[in-house]
Amino acid sequence: MSVEKILEINNLSKNYGSLQAVRDISFTVNKGEVYGILGPNGSGKTTTLAVILGVLNANGGDFKWFGKPLQKETRQRIGALIETPNFYPYLTLFENLQIAAKIKNASEESINNALGTANLLKRKHTNYGNLSLGMKQRMAIASVLIGDPDVLVLDEPTNGLDPEGFAEVRNIIQSQASKGKTIILASHILDEVEKVCSHVAILKSGELIANGRVGELLTSEDIVYVQSENQDELFALLQFAEMVSRVSRIEDDITVVLKKPFTPVELNKFCSEKGFVLSKIMLRKQSLEAQFLELVK
Amino acid sequence: MIRKLFQIEKIKALSYPAFKTLMIIHFLLFFLVVLIVSQVNFSFPGFSVTKLYQFPNIWEFFPWVASWFNLFLAIVVILLVGNEFSFRTFRQNVIDGLSRNDLIRGKIILIFSIAVYTFLMVLIAILIFGLINSDDYSMGAIFGKSYLLLIYFIQALGYMSLGLLITIMFRNNALSIIMFILYFFPIEPIIRWIFEAHARRYFPIKIISNLTPMPEFLTMTSEKTFTTSSGTSALDFQEMGLTIEPLSVGLNVGLAVIYILVFLGISTYLLNKKNL
Repeated sequence: MSVEKILEINNLSKNYGSLQAVRDISFTVNKGEVYGILGPNGSGKTTTLAVILGVLNANGGDFKWFGKPLQKETRQRIGALIETPNFYPYLTLFENLQIAAKIKNASEESINNALGTANLLKRKHTNYGNLSLGMKQRMAIASVLIGDPDVLVLDEPTNGLDPEGFAEVRNIIQSQASKGKTIILASHILDEVEKVCSHVAILKSGELIANGRVGELLTSEDIVYVQSENQDELFALLQFAEMVSRVSRIEDDITVVLKKPFTPVELNKFCSEKGFVLSKIMLRKQSLEAQFLELVK
Repeated sequence: MIRKLFQIEKIKALSYPAFKTLMIIHFLLFFLVVLIVSQVNFSFPGFSVTKLYQFPNIWEFFPWVASWFNLFLAIVVILLVGNEFSFRTFRQNVIDGLSRNDLIRGKIILIFSIAVYTFLMVLIAILIFGLINSDDYSMGAIFGKSYLLLIYFIQALGYMSLGLLITIMFRNNALSIIMFILYFFPIEPIIRWIFEAHARRYFPIKIISNLTPMPEFLTMTSEKTFTTSSGTSALDFQEMGLTIEPLSVGLNVGLAVIYILVFLGISTYLLNKKNL
């Protein structure tokens, strides 16, 4: 059974004057995926989203939504939030969403549903300008849900939210994903991507440095911290040891990532056979955050 | 689609406090001027204020008075369009599904709606004041110069289209208002001054503001041709080459329409080319 391609990006580039914000990025998002775009600030996440939503003009490459160039009909199947929420501060939440609903040919009932989902129904007649930052963010989520779109594009949706709001947004995303909607989520928060996304593309300085399933890309690795009387010689030995995947030095420690299925016990045995008595051997699980930092270093 | 865009613009404009304030000020100032002038009991041989309020002269006088306040209409457009950049709502509208051409169409509908409103406001005022003050109620007298109101309508479109273009260029309310006013004076007058006298008549502000020239009160209210104290008429000055013959009404209107189309065309081009 073939998988429906929702978004295909091919060699997309975007420059701001001499600054190349996005360079030759290519990836595909399939139907039903929760696709994370992960990268530090300034990595090109928002620019990529702004280009594929038609807000910015690309300098190179192309992209297709539902197999076609971006058209009015396809836009209406997408609910999107880019960067900060953009609404008229002098209009009420209901009036602001009325504009979105008219654009998307959605009913007024859909406005109340969206406000209800974002827990803002009681505030529907409040002016947008009078909302707190967290409420503004929830209003943006409500706007994305107007018209029950097939695809949700969310750029840093938990910006400005407290832990409770963070959890609420995560629940909204997960409940939308369970309805079979495709979700594209840009974030610099690894935890957010890890908890919500099935797939991830990692950007650094405008380039795509990795993409694939979250489980494959961001698997936890075991790191072994070792010390001996002669660190330099031990480091030289471990660099060429077959069971070692990576080795580096951090302050007084040598950190070793072992190839699977080797264990710290086997490492200790190997060192002992080579004449090194380890004064310290400590196993520590590497956090996903450290993995991510390693990737974008 | 036009209906949808109109409804969207209606929501954006009618709830905007500055829009309501400026439109009320525009309305009050216009009626205040025509009411105050109507109460002035000023006449001398060959001139009477009452005649300004009678058909067909009123078609000339009221649009001229209304044209003084076109600046308010242009500022309304500048604020409403500038807000779209300040609040980044043009960007959100595109994300939600409008094309960039739809954004411009929406603003053209807004401009057209304001022009229709002000057209109707002046029309109603003309009919009320004209019917109260006129002596001659023949169709010829009542509608004799009614085309001048249509020309005022084009002028209102012209000011607002220029306001739209300047706002799309500068993307900032305060800067756009300053640039709009500076273009009236001194930018265009200085540019005009560089050119030969005949060419000066073709500049956009000259063309648009000449659509509702000051009525020739004395010739309007008197059967006699007004002459200067030295006995020379305006025609004599033209014959002497001291003044330039004005463009015909038809040519002036035609050029104004062309300018409006150019303003809207450049606005569309810029909005399509620039990032939102």
